[in-house]
Amino acid sequence: MAPRRDFYEVLGVGRDASPEEIQRAYRKLARTYHPDVNKSPEAEEKFKEVSEAYDVLSDPDMRKRYDAFGPDFRRVPEGVDPQTWARARAGAPGQGPPGDDRVRVDFGDTGIDIDELFESMFGARGRGRWGPIAGANQEVELPLTVEDAYTGAHQRLAVSGPDGSRSIEVTIPPGVVDGQRIRLAGQGGQGTGGAAAGDLFLVVRILPHSRYRVEGRDIYVELPLAPWEAVLGASVAFDTPGGEAKVRVPAGTSSGRRLRLRGRGMPNASGRNGDLYAEARIMAPNHLTKDERRLFEELAATSAYDPRRQR
Amino acid sequence: MSTALSRPAGIDLQSFARLASLHPDMVRRFVALGLLEPTRDPSGRIWFTYGDLVAVARLQRLRSAFSLNYAALGLVVDLLDRIAVLEADLRNRPRAARGRSWI
Repeated sequence: MAPRRDFYEVLGVGRDASPEEIQRAYRKLARTYHPDVNKSPEAEEKFKEVSEAYDVLSDPDMRKRYDAFGPDFRRVPEGVDPQTWARARAGAPGQGPPGDDRVRVDFGDTGIDIDELFESMFGARGRGRWGPIAGANQEVELPLTVEDAYTGAHQRLAVSGPDGSRSIEVTIPPGVVDGQRIRLAGQGGQGTGGAAAGDLFLVVRILPHSRYRVEGRDIYVELPLAPWEAVLGASVAFDTPGGEAKVRVPAGTSSGRRLRLRGRGMPNASGRNGDLYAEARIMAPNHLTKDERRLFEELAATSAYDPRRQR
Repeated sequence: MSTALSRPAGIDLQSFARLASLHPDMVRRFVALGLLEPTRDPSGRIWFTYGDLVAVARLQRLRSAFSLNYAALGLVVDLLDRIAVLEADLRNRPRAARGRSWI
Protein backbone atom coordinates (compact mmCIF):
# COMPACT_ATOMS: atom_id res chain seq x y z
CA MET A 1 0.00 0.00 0.00
CA ALA A 2 1.16 3.50 -0.74
CA PRO A 3 2.33 5.45 2.30
CA ARG A 4 -0.49 7.44 3.78
CA ARG A 5 -0.38 11.14 3.23
CA ASP A 6 -0.47 13.57 6.09
CA PHE A 7 -4.09 14.26 7.05
CA TYR A 8 -3.59 18.03 7.08
CA GLU A 9 -2.07 17.83 3.63
CA VAL A 10 -4.99 15.73 2.40
CA LEU A 11 -7.46 18.39 3.48
CA GLY A 12 -5.17 21.19 2.35
CA VAL A 13 -5.17 22.99 5.70
CA GLY A 14 -2.40 24.09 8.03
CA ARG A 15 -1.61 22.27 11.28
CA ASP A 16 -3.10 25.17 13.21
CA ALA A 17 -6.39 25.14 11.27
CA SER A 18 -9.52 25.81 13.29
CA PRO A 19 -12.27 23.16 13.43
CA GLU A 20 -14.35 25.40 11.14
CA GLU A 21 -11.58 25.55 8.57
CA ILE A 22 -11.21 21.80 8.69
CA GLN A 23 -14.90 21.29 8.19
CA ARG A 24 -15.05 23.76 5.33
CA ALA A 25 -12.12 22.09 3.59
CA TYR A 26 -13.71 18.67 4.03
CA ARG A 27 -17.11 19.75 2.75
CA LYS A 28 -15.59 21.26 -0.35
CA LEU A 29 -13.49 18.21 -1.13
CA ALA A 30 -16.38 15.85 -0.38
CA ARG A 31 -18.58 17.70 -2.87
CA THR A 32 -15.91 17.30 -5.51
CA TYR A 33 -14.95 13.69 -4.94
CA HIS A 34 -18.07 12.02 -3.61
CA PRO A 35 -18.49 8.79 -5.62
CA ASP A 36 -22.07 9.69 -6.50
CA VAL A 37 -21.09 13.12 -7.76
CA ASN A 38 -17.79 12.27 -9.43
CA LYS A 39 -17.97 8.97 -11.25
CA SER A 40 -14.29 8.48 -12.02
CA PRO A 41 -12.61 5.60 -10.16
CA GLU A 42 -9.87 7.93 -8.86
CA ALA A 43 -12.48 10.01 -7.10
CA GLU A 44 -13.50 7.18 -4.78
CA GLU A 45 -9.97 6.70 -3.45
CA LYS A 46 -9.58 10.40 -3.03
CA PHE A 47 -12.91 10.61 -1.22
CA LYS A 48 -11.90 7.83 1.17
CA GLU A 49 -8.64 9.57 1.93
CA VAL A 50 -10.43 12.85 2.57
CA SER A 51 -13.06 11.19 4.77
CA GLU A 52 -10.46 9.37 6.81
CA ALA A 53 -8.51 12.58 7.36
CA TYR A 54 -11.67 14.41 8.35
CA ASP A 55 -12.78 11.65 10.71
CA VAL A 56 -9.57 12.03 12.65
CA LEU A 57 -9.08 15.78 12.50
CA SER A 58 -12.71 16.65 13.27
CA ASP A 59 -12.55 14.80 16.59
CA PRO A 60 -10.64 16.95 19.08
CA ASP A 61 -9.32 13.94 21.01
CA MET A 62 -8.18 12.07 17.98
CA ARG A 63 -6.70 15.18 16.44
CA LYS A 64 -4.64 15.69 19.59
CA ARG A 65 -3.43 12.13 19.43
CA TYR A 66 -2.65 12.46 15.74
CA ASP A 67 -0.67 15.63 16.39
CA ALA A 68 1.22 13.96 19.21
CA PHE A 69 1.93 10.56 17.72
CA GLY A 70 1.71 11.05 13.96
CA PRO A 71 0.26 8.66 11.43
CA ASP A 72 0.76 5.65 13.69
CA PHE A 73 -1.32 7.14 16.49
CA ARG A 74 -3.74 4.25 16.45
CA ARG A 75 -0.98 1.89 17.52
CA VAL A 76 -0.24 3.91 20.58
CA PRO A 77 -2.19 2.47 23.51
CA GLU A 78 -4.65 4.68 25.35
CA GLY A 79 -3.19 6.76 28.15
CA VAL A 80 0.35 6.93 26.86
CA ASP A 81 1.83 10.29 27.62
CA PRO A 82 2.95 12.13 24.50
CA GLN A 83 6.06 13.27 26.38
CA THR A 84 7.08 9.69 27.04
CA TRP A 85 6.39 8.84 23.45
CA ALA A 86 8.45 11.77 22.24
CA ARG A 87 11.32 10.81 24.58
CA ALA A 88 11.19 7.26 23.28
CA ARG A 89 11.39 8.59 19.75
CA ALA A 90 14.18 10.96 20.57
CA GLY A 91 16.05 8.08 22.19
CA ALA A 92 15.96 6.08 19.01
CA PRO A 93 19.17 6.75 17.11
CA GLY A 94 18.74 8.39 13.72
CA GLN A 95 15.23 9.57 14.54
CA GLY A 96 13.42 6.69 12.92
CA PRO A 97 10.00 7.30 11.51
CA PRO A 98 7.09 7.13 13.94
CA GLY A 99 6.28 3.67 12.67
CA ASP A 100 9.78 2.43 13.50
CA ASP A 101 9.80 -1.10 14.91
CA ARG A 102 12.03 -0.08 17.79
CA VAL A 103 9.43 2.30 19.13
CA ARG A 104 6.70 -0.22 18.87
CA VAL A 105 8.75 -2.68 20.90
CA ASP A 106 9.17 -0.12 23.67
CA PHE A 107 5.45 -0.10 24.24
CA GLY A 108 4.91 -3.72 23.57
CA ASP A 109 2.84 -5.06 20.74
CA THR A 110 -0.76 -4.31 21.60
CA GLY A 111 -1.99 -6.89 19.12
CA ILE A 112 -4.69 -4.56 17.90
CA ASP A 113 -6.06 -5.28 14.48
CA ILE A 114 -5.93 -1.93 12.78
CA ASP A 115 -8.74 -2.72 10.39
CA GLU A 116 -10.98 -3.79 13.21
CA LEU A 117 -10.13 -0.64 15.09
CA PHE A 118 -10.98 1.39 12.03
CA GLU A 119 -14.34 -0.26 11.58
CA SER A 120 -15.31 0.24 15.17
CA MET A 121 -14.19 3.82 14.98
CA PHE A 122 -16.18 4.59 11.88
CA GLY A 123 -19.03 2.65 13.37
CA ALA A 124 -19.06 4.88 16.37
CA ARG A 125 -19.14 7.99 14.26
CA GLY A 126 -22.42 7.95 12.42
CA ARG A 127 -21.18 6.16 9.36
CA GLY A 128 -22.11 2.86 10.92
CA ARG A 129 -25.73 3.69 11.51
CA TRP A 130 -26.24 2.13 8.14
CA GLY A 131 -25.66 -1.51 7.52
CA PRO A 132 -23.65 -2.67 4.53
CA ILE A 133 -23.94 -0.28 1.58
CA ALA A 134 -23.38 -1.40 -2.00
CA GLY A 135 -20.63 0.38 -3.92
CA ALA A 136 -21.25 3.23 -6.36
CA ASN A 137 -21.26 2.80 -10.11
CA GLN A 138 -18.28 4.36 -11.79
CA GLU A 139 -17.56 5.60 -15.27
CA VAL A 140 -14.39 5.71 -17.30
CA GLU A 141 -13.96 7.08 -20.79
CA LEU A 142 -12.74 4.61 -23.36
CA PRO A 143 -11.17 6.37 -26.33
CA LEU A 144 -11.25 4.25 -29.48
CA THR A 145 -10.08 4.80 -33.02
CA VAL A 146 -12.68 4.42 -35.74
CA GLU A 147 -10.91 1.25 -36.90
CA ASP A 148 -10.98 -0.33 -33.41
CA ALA A 149 -14.62 0.57 -32.98
CA TYR A 150 -15.36 -1.07 -36.32
CA THR A 151 -13.45 -4.31 -35.85
CA GLY A 152 -13.64 -4.61 -32.07
CA ALA A 153 -10.53 -4.80 -29.91
CA HIS A 154 -8.89 -6.06 -26.77
CA GLN A 155 -7.59 -3.37 -24.50
CA ARG A 156 -5.87 -3.10 -21.17
CA LEU A 157 -7.18 -0.32 -18.99
CA ALA A 158 -5.55 1.04 -15.88
CA VAL A 159 -8.22 1.76 -13.29
CA SER A 160 -7.41 3.08 -9.87
CA GLY A 161 -8.73 0.98 -7.04
CA PRO A 162 -8.22 0.47 -3.31
CA ASP A 163 -4.73 -1.00 -3.79
CA GLY A 164 -3.52 1.55 -6.27
CA SER A 165 -3.89 1.13 -9.99
CA ARG A 166 -5.10 -2.18 -11.34
CA SER A 167 -5.28 -3.20 -14.92
CA ILE A 168 -8.32 -4.79 -16.45
CA GLU A 169 -8.61 -6.42 -19.80
CA VAL A 170 -11.68 -5.54 -21.81
CA THR A 171 -13.01 -7.02 -24.99
CA ILE A 172 -14.72 -4.42 -27.11
CA PRO A 173 -17.26 -5.95 -29.47
CA PRO A 174 -17.19 -4.88 -33.12
CA GLY A 175 -19.40 -1.93 -33.97
CA VAL A 176 -19.53 0.18 -30.83
CA VAL A 177 -20.75 3.75 -31.21
CA ASP A 178 -19.81 7.01 -29.57
CA GLY A 179 -21.37 7.34 -26.13
CA GLN A 180 -22.14 3.63 -25.84
CA ARG A 181 -21.69 2.22 -22.37
CA ILE A 182 -19.97 -1.10 -21.76
CA ARG A 183 -20.80 -2.52 -18.34
CA LEU A 184 -18.24 -4.37 -16.26
CA ALA A 185 -20.29 -5.83 -13.43
CA GLY A 186 -18.75 -5.59 -9.97
CA GLN A 187 -15.73 -3.56 -11.12
CA GLY A 188 -16.96 -0.26 -9.74
CA GLY A 189 -16.79 1.32 -6.29
CA GLN A 190 -16.36 -0.92 -3.29
CA GLY A 191 -19.26 -1.67 -1.02
CA THR A 192 -18.92 -1.22 2.71
CA GLY A 193 -19.57 -3.88 5.32
CA GLY A 194 -19.26 -6.70 2.82
CA ALA A 195 -21.89 -5.34 0.41
CA ALA A 196 -21.48 -5.83 -3.31
CA ALA A 197 -19.27 -3.53 -5.38
CA GLY A 198 -20.83 -1.24 -7.97
CA ASP A 199 -20.39 -1.57 -11.70
CA LEU A 200 -17.81 0.09 -13.86
CA PHE A 201 -19.12 1.59 -17.09
CA LEU A 202 -16.80 2.24 -19.99
CA VAL A 203 -18.14 5.10 -22.04
CA VAL A 204 -16.97 4.78 -25.61
CA ARG A 205 -15.47 7.89 -27.13
CA ILE A 206 -14.66 7.64 -30.84
CA LEU A 207 -11.50 9.62 -31.55
CA PRO A 208 -11.53 12.13 -34.40
CA HIS A 209 -10.11 10.64 -37.57
CA SER A 210 -8.40 12.36 -40.46
CA ARG A 211 -10.59 10.60 -43.06
CA TYR A 212 -13.63 9.15 -41.37
CA ARG A 213 -16.46 10.93 -39.67
CA VAL A 214 -18.82 8.78 -37.64
CA GLU A 215 -22.40 9.75 -36.92
CA GLY A 216 -24.25 7.07 -35.04
CA ARG A 217 -23.51 3.98 -37.08
CA ASP A 218 -23.03 5.81 -40.36
CA ILE A 219 -19.53 6.53 -41.55
CA TYR A 220 -18.72 9.41 -43.88
CA VAL A 221 -15.58 9.46 -45.95
CA GLU A 222 -14.40 11.91 -48.55
CA LEU A 223 -13.95 10.49 -52.02
CA PRO A 224 -11.48 12.55 -54.07
CA LEU A 225 -12.25 12.37 -57.79
CA ALA A 226 -10.48 13.56 -60.91
CA PRO A 227 -12.60 15.93 -63.01
CA TRP A 228 -12.94 13.39 -65.82
CA GLU A 229 -13.95 10.63 -63.35
CA ALA A 230 -16.70 12.89 -62.06
CA VAL A 231 -17.85 13.85 -65.55
CA LEU A 232 -17.65 10.51 -67.28
CA GLY A 233 -18.38 8.26 -64.32
CA ALA A 234 -15.97 5.64 -62.98
CA SER A 235 -15.58 2.70 -60.70
CA VAL A 236 -13.33 3.81 -57.86
CA ALA A 237 -11.62 1.84 -55.10
CA PHE A 238 -11.04 3.49 -51.72
CA ASP A 239 -10.24 2.54 -48.13
CA THR A 240 -12.95 2.04 -45.53
CA PRO A 241 -12.61 0.86 -41.90
CA GLY A 242 -13.76 -2.55 -43.11
CA GLY A 243 -11.14 -2.76 -45.87
CA GLU A 244 -11.09 -1.61 -49.48
CA ALA A 245 -14.43 -0.90 -51.10
CA LYS A 246 -15.41 -0.15 -54.65
CA VAL A 247 -18.00 2.38 -55.59
CA ARG A 248 -19.48 3.23 -58.95
CA VAL A 249 -19.40 6.97 -59.47
CA PRO A 250 -22.24 7.92 -61.83
CA ALA A 251 -21.47 10.21 -64.75
CA GLY A 252 -22.04 13.86 -63.91
CA THR A 253 -21.20 13.69 -60.22
CA SER A 254 -20.52 17.04 -58.53
CA SER A 255 -18.66 17.70 -55.28
CA GLY A 256 -20.74 16.96 -52.21
CA ARG A 257 -22.77 14.19 -53.78
CA ARG A 258 -23.10 11.29 -51.40
CA LEU A 259 -22.75 7.78 -52.66
CA ARG A 260 -24.20 5.30 -50.24
CA LEU A 261 -22.71 1.90 -49.59
CA ARG A 262 -25.45 0.11 -47.76
CA GLY A 263 -24.42 -1.78 -44.67
CA ARG A 264 -20.76 -0.80 -44.94
CA GLY A 265 -20.90 1.49 -41.88
CA MET A 266 -20.49 0.34 -38.27
CA PRO A 267 -21.53 -3.27 -37.81
CA ASN A 268 -24.53 -3.86 -35.57
CA ALA A 269 -24.83 -7.16 -33.73
CA SER A 270 -28.48 -6.55 -32.93
CA GLY A 271 -29.91 -4.98 -36.05
CA ARG A 272 -29.04 -3.29 -39.31
CA ASN A 273 -25.47 -2.23 -39.96
CA GLY A 274 -24.81 1.43 -40.50
CA ASP A 275 -24.18 2.79 -43.98
CA LEU A 276 -21.04 4.20 -45.46
CA TYR A 277 -21.30 7.45 -47.38
CA ALA A 278 -18.59 8.43 -49.82
CA GLU A 279 -18.76 12.19 -50.38
CA ALA A 280 -17.53 13.15 -53.81
CA ARG A 281 -14.90 15.83 -53.89
CA ILE A 282 -13.54 16.88 -57.23
CA MET A 283 -9.85 17.70 -57.17
CA ALA A 284 -7.99 19.67 -59.80
CA PRO A 285 -4.45 18.73 -60.78
CA ASN A 286 -1.82 21.26 -59.72
CA HIS A 287 0.51 20.82 -62.65
CA LEU A 288 -0.52 19.98 -66.16
CA THR A 289 1.55 18.56 -68.94
CA LYS A 290 1.48 20.35 -72.25
CA ASP A 291 -0.93 17.79 -73.66
CA GLU A 292 -3.27 18.00 -70.70
CA ARG A 293 -3.34 21.75 -70.85
CA ARG A 294 -4.11 21.67 -74.56
CA LEU A 295 -7.00 19.27 -73.99
CA PHE A 296 -8.47 21.36 -71.19
CA GLU A 297 -8.19 24.50 -73.29
CA GLU A 298 -9.93 22.72 -76.09
CA LEU A 299 -12.66 21.63 -73.69
CA ALA A 300 -13.03 25.17 -72.33
CA ALA A 301 -13.45 26.53 -75.83
CA THR A 302 -15.98 23.88 -76.81
CA SER A 303 -18.10 23.54 -73.68
CA ALA A 304 -21.13 25.73 -73.02
CA TYR A 305 -21.40 24.51 -69.45
CA ASP A 306 -21.58 27.26 -66.80
CA PRO A 307 -21.79 25.91 -63.25
CA ARG A 308 -22.88 29.34 -61.91
CA ARG A 309 -25.91 29.53 -64.12
CA GLN A 310 -27.25 26.14 -63.02
CA ARG A 311 -30.17 25.31 -60.75
CA MET B 1 -37.14 -25.21 -16.12
CA SER B 2 -39.97 -22.75 -15.76
CA THR B 3 -37.93 -20.03 -14.11
CA ALA B 4 -39.35 -17.28 -16.27
CA LEU B 5 -42.87 -18.04 -15.11
CA SER B 6 -42.10 -18.61 -11.47
CA ARG B 7 -39.98 -15.50 -11.07
CA PRO B 8 -41.77 -12.97 -8.87
CA ALA B 9 -42.73 -9.54 -10.12
CA GLY B 10 -39.92 -7.96 -8.09
CA ILE B 11 -38.56 -7.89 -4.56
CA ASP B 12 -41.10 -7.63 -1.77
CA LEU B 13 -40.70 -5.16 1.08
CA GLN B 14 -39.29 -7.62 3.63
CA SER B 15 -36.72 -9.08 1.24
CA PHE B 16 -35.82 -5.65 -0.02
CA ALA B 17 -35.26 -4.35 3.51
CA ARG B 18 -33.09 -7.36 4.25
CA LEU B 19 -31.05 -6.94 1.06
CA ALA B 20 -30.56 -3.25 1.75
CA SER B 21 -29.85 -3.90 5.46
CA LEU B 22 -32.54 -1.43 6.44
CA HIS B 23 -35.54 -1.60 8.72
CA PRO B 24 -38.75 -2.07 6.68
CA ASP B 25 -40.09 1.13 8.27
CA MET B 26 -37.12 2.99 6.88
CA VAL B 27 -37.85 1.60 3.43
CA ARG B 28 -41.49 2.70 3.80
CA ARG B 29 -40.28 6.14 4.71
CA PHE B 30 -38.13 6.32 1.59
CA VAL B 31 -41.20 5.39 -0.43
CA ALA B 32 -43.38 7.97 1.31
CA LEU B 33 -40.80 10.64 0.56
CA GLY B 34 -40.72 9.68 -3.10
CA LEU B 35 -37.07 8.64 -2.89
CA LEU B 36 -38.00 5.16 -4.09
CA GLU B 37 -40.80 4.43 -6.51
CA PRO B 38 -41.78 0.79 -6.25
CA THR B 39 -44.65 -0.68 -8.24
CA ARG B 40 -47.88 -1.52 -6.51
CA ASP B 41 -49.84 -4.66 -7.39
CA PRO B 42 -53.67 -4.85 -7.30
CA SER B 43 -53.57 -6.16 -3.72
CA GLY B 44 -51.64 -3.07 -2.64
CA ARG B 45 -48.33 -4.81 -2.03
CA ILE B 46 -45.25 -2.93 -3.15
CA TRP B 47 -42.50 -4.47 -5.24
CA PHE B 48 -38.95 -3.27 -5.69
CA THR B 49 -36.31 -3.92 -8.34
CA TYR B 50 -32.57 -4.47 -8.11
CA GLY B 51 -32.22 -0.97 -9.51
CA ASP B 52 -33.88 0.27 -6.31
CA LEU B 53 -31.09 -1.38 -4.30
CA VAL B 54 -28.56 0.68 -6.22
CA ALA B 55 -30.68 3.77 -5.56
CA VAL B 56 -30.84 3.04 -1.82
CA ALA B 57 -27.09 2.64 -1.63
CA ARG B 58 -26.67 6.02 -3.29
CA LEU B 59 -29.12 7.64 -0.86
CA GLN B 60 -27.20 6.19 2.06
CA ARG B 61 -23.83 7.33 0.75
CA LEU B 62 -25.02 10.84 0.01
CA ARG B 63 -26.80 11.18 3.33
CA SER B 64 -23.86 10.04 5.41
CA ALA B 65 -21.35 12.20 3.55
CA PHE B 66 -23.25 15.47 3.44
CA SER B 67 -25.62 15.14 6.39
CA LEU B 68 -28.53 15.92 4.10
CA ASN B 69 -32.10 15.63 5.25
CA TYR B 70 -34.43 13.46 3.23
CA ALA B 71 -36.12 16.29 1.35
CA ALA B 72 -32.75 17.66 0.25
CA LEU B 73 -31.67 14.14 -0.66
CA GLY B 74 -34.57 13.91 -3.11
CA LEU B 75 -33.54 17.14 -4.75
CA VAL B 76 -29.88 16.13 -4.94
CA VAL B 77 -30.55 12.77 -6.61
CA ASP B 78 -32.98 14.38 -9.05
CA LEU B 79 -30.40 16.98 -10.01
CA LEU B 80 -27.62 14.40 -10.31
CA ASP B 81 -29.83 12.31 -12.60
CA ARG B 82 -30.68 15.30 -14.74
CA ILE B 83 -27.05 16.27 -15.04
CA ALA B 84 -26.18 12.71 -16.06
CA VAL B 85 -28.79 12.85 -18.82
CA LEU B 86 -27.56 16.24 -20.04
CA GLU B 87 -23.96 15.09 -20.05
CA ALA B 88 -24.86 11.98 -22.00
CA ASP B 89 -26.77 14.10 -24.54
CA LEU B 90 -23.81 16.39 -24.92
CA ARG B 91 -21.54 13.42 -25.50
CA ASN B 92 -23.82 11.74 -27.99
CA ARG B 93 -24.43 14.82 -30.09
CA PRO B 94 -22.66 14.26 -33.41
CA ARG B 95 -19.26 15.82 -33.39
CA ALA B 96 -19.89 17.48 -36.76
CA ALA B 97 -22.62 19.63 -35.32
CA ARG B 98 -20.32 20.85 -32.57
CA GLY B 99 -17.08 21.19 -34.49
CA ARG B 100 -18.16 22.51 -37.86
CA SER B 101 -19.27 26.04 -37.46
CA TRP B 102 -19.23 28.54 -40.24
CA ILE B 103 -19.62 31.51 -37.98
